[in-house]
Amino acid sequence: MATPVLRVRDLHVTYQSSLGAVPAVRGVDIEIARGETLGLAGESGCGKSTLAMALLRLVSPTTQITGSVLLAGKDTLTMKPGELRAVRWAQASIVFQGAQHVLNPVQRIGRQIDEATEAHGGARATGTAELLELVGLGVRRADDYPHELSGGQKQRALIAMALACDPLLIVADEPTTALDVMIQAQILQLLEEIKRERGLSMLFITHDLSVLSHTADRVAIMYAGRVIEVGAGKDLLRDSQHPYSKALAASFPIIGDPSSRRQPRGLAGDPPNPIDLPSGCPFHPRCAVAIDTCRSVDVKLRSVGGAINRQVACVHFGDA
Amino acid sequence: MSESTGTTFRAMTWARRRTALSRVWRELRHDRPGFIGLLLLSGFGLFALSAPLIADRSSLLVASGRNNPDLAAPSIKFLLGTDEIGRDVLAQLVWGSRVSLFIGLFATVVAVVIGSVVGLAAGYTKGKVSAVLLAIDDFFLVVPFLPLAIVLAVVLGRSPVTLSIVIGVTSWAGSARLIRAQVLTLSERAYVERARALGASSWHVIVRHVLPGVAPLIIANATLIVPSAILTESTLSFLGFGDRLSPSWGKLLEGAQSSGSITLNAWWYYLPPGLCIIGIVLAFTLLGRSLERIFDPRLRGR
Amino acid sequence: MSRRYLIKKVIGAFLTLSAVVVFNFFLFRIVDRDPLAKYRGRSKLTIEQRETMIRRMGLEGSKWDQFTVYIKSVLRLDFGRSFDSTQPVLGEITARLPATLFLVGVSTLLTICVGLYIGTKAGWRRGSRFDRTSTSATMVLYSTPEFFFGMLLLAFIAGRTGWFPTGGLRDVGADYGFVGNLIDRMHHLVLPTVTLTLGYLGSYALIMRTSMIETLGEDYLVTARAKGLRDSEVMSRHAVPNALLPSVSLIAISFGFVIGGAITTETVFSYPGLGLATANAISNNDLPMLQALFLLASAAVILFNFIADLVYGLLDPRVRRTE
Repeated sequence: MATPVLRVRDLHVTYQSSLGAVPAVRGVDIEIARGETLGLAGESGCGKSTLAMALLRLVSPTTQITGSVLLAGKDTLTMKPGELRAVRWAQASIVFQGAQHVLNPVQRIGRQIDEATEAHGGARATGTAELLELVGLGVRRADDYPHELSGGQKQRALIAMALACDPLLIVADEPTTALDVMIQAQILQLLEEIKRERGLSMLFITHDLSVLSHTADRVAIMYAGRVIEVGAGKDLLRDSQHPYSKALAASFPIIGDPSSRRQPRGLAGDPPNPIDLPSGCPFHPRCAVAIDTCRSVDVKLRSVGGAINRQVACVHFGDA
Repeated sequence: MSESTGTTFRAMTWARRRTALSRVWRELRHDRPGFIGLLLLSGFGLFALSAPLIADRSSLLVASGRNNPDLAAPSIKFLLGTDEIGRDVLAQLVWGSRVSLFIGLFATVVAVVIGSVVGLAAGYTKGKVSAVLLAIDDFFLVVPFLPLAIVLAVVLGRSPVTLSIVIGVTSWAGSARLIRAQVLTLSERAYVERARALGASSWHVIVRHVLPGVAPLIIANATLIVPSAILTESTLSFLGFGDRLSPSWGKLLEGAQSSGSITLNAWWYYLPPGLCIIGIVLAFTLLGRSLERIFDPRLRGR
Repeated sequence: MSRRYLIKKVIGAFLTLSAVVVFNFFLFRIVDRDPLAKYRGRSKLTIEQRETMIRRMGLEGSKWDQFTVYIKSVLRLDFGRSFDSTQPVLGEITARLPATLFLVGVSTLLTICVGLYIGTKAGWRRGSRFDRTSTSATMVLYSTPEFFFGMLLLAFIAGRTGWFPTGGLRDVGADYGFVGNLIDRMHHLVLPTVTLTLGYLGSYALIMRTSMIETLGEDYLVTARAKGLRDSEVMSRHAVPNALLPSVSLIAISFGFVIGGAITTETVFSYPGLGLATANAISNNDLPMLQALFLLASAAVILFNFIADLVYGLLDPRVRRTE
């Protein structure tokens, strides 16, 4: 097998707060092959965005990152600042969530895209004008400021920006959150097309499992800073094993599967506080099928008999 | 409400205030700049209180310098030397601390009262009343405040009390603006809306629900008005307002300037009042900024 | 810039200026019932002279009559005669204006440049040694009355070293030729400029530092970093242009303080500009002078605020480009 585009091993991210150290990501292993899309899902606060930021070391300098992040075979966590800058955007870029202030309000859209290529020597296959056409914005938008674009347009501009340096990997961090359903579908389709045409790999982060059913080749579910289930996309969504994945899948109807609508929705309780995680399996206080062992034992991710490539971190599944 | 529930309610309120106060104290102790400000301030407070122990008030009189050498360097008898008519500089400095502090604090009271009333009213009312109040606020915010204070002082009079009022009248606009913004955010809070929905009068809502919410802000803001009021007072005194027989620190600097103490190298005359002004202004500013940080978590890390 | 924004700001400035003019009348003719009482030489006036003066000051008739006379004279820039010099106030002011304009202009420019630089650097590297040192220094600067600075400079630089003159606009009675005279004037300007600059550097630096710190948490800085920009580029292209916006308005408001600072600074250095004229007018109770100086100072601040609004409009596309 060829070197995966991204290979994350035992990643821990701990940031400092006034209340103490917050372990946001606690030992995550993921891999993304060339051309593959990995969907990463979980409730807000489960550490999925922190993980995304840690890949390119975009967390604050006081935050501690350990483990390894091999991007095209090189570990971003041990790179010197100059090397790291060269890798950022050129090998992996990020499609941020457009609803937030991720675009500089006082700089023109075109300028913000150009800036990315200039930072990497200026040479590239596609020009800014072409990129804007590609994402369906039109060249004229290059002279606009962010406040002159709608939410969907901003999201398109961000996609154009992410493509500016022809990266191997695109990290899409909640790219459709805060958009209405119609626009959401358009953006998803755009991402899918671009990915296919350019042979890109993608890490698609979302709290909304339903958007993954179309886009993700494989899906990883995160809870309290860990991946608790991983497997092939549609397979996992239809037939999740971990009680948390089940509950999460149940809260979003899968289009074309009427049975999913009849399942109980939502989850009792709140996600755990990362500073004060429950003992054993962090999910046990909210789990309907928890047994005594769950209070003391935190089961690692392990292969499950039957399903292909399925791994689950639950005492009820796999070899005890 | 029966009397006993009223009492427990009041007791609860007091208990809550006590915990809030102890929280502020705890955070202040760990905020180095704020704590330094507090210590400095206590030092100046003691200095002002000890005035009668250090020098008799009569040594401020012109006659008291008659038998002393003029502009004499510090000695055992005059720890900070004498001024151009032979009066003890230390005596003027220690009594002057009372004048400077009095004017600074009194002006702040005036500014805070006007600022709170205008701010609360502008935030709580709507339409024309609010627009007019805002226009007045804008006016006082834009008009250069020292020239304004000067013309007011020329017309209204030059006594310390008038000066305080003049300074207060020229310094409230910023706090009114701040308080209004805070009132606007508070009025959207559930408990205020609930009180209003239950039919509470505007006055009741303001006094019982809005005022307690803005009080911390007002306190922090007031702590920051004091230093600017003291600076303004010293500036006005330096320009000729104020009372030569009961001089503030600014007035002492004016005396030092006009008597030529600078060319005569009489540093004991101009350095102490100048350094005292820096010290007291610094103390209030450090404390005020620290209180702002404690009361408004958004400002953490400044 | 959108026309509506411009018109709104022009009207705003005009209204504030009118309010100042009305306030001036209110203060000097209504709060102060007998302005002439402040004229020191009044006891020596003959009855005719006294009446001439009352007529000249526009104190005849009803308050409404006085108001119309007052407005007309303000529009003609006729502020009467100085109690002190008995010369027309307008002439007294225009003669002193250039000196003050120069002092305030140079100092404001220096204060803005140096203050913004220090504030930017301190805010960007919050908690660094530069930040701690510069913030302590700016706090002390902020707490010092600028005239005390002036006195210290006089005592320890001009007095001890003799490198700089102790006051005035130029060496009285000397003629060094055109270039020489120019240098002489600059030489006299150094200490007052330093005084005024140091006096207000602190507040400008603190304003910019706060503004920078507020910008630090913005998402577009993460975007810029993710794009592979250098730290210095993230700061200069993304953080500074945004942090400048709130600073512009605050700096305009603090310009009023610089005007106040010019009054005391000129007094310390006997620099014969409008500030010294103000100090003299205070000690002579020279009401006509004070009125005009107050109007002029207010007009200057209103103008400066207006310019700041324009700059803001140019810096912020959200204001510039709205239909």
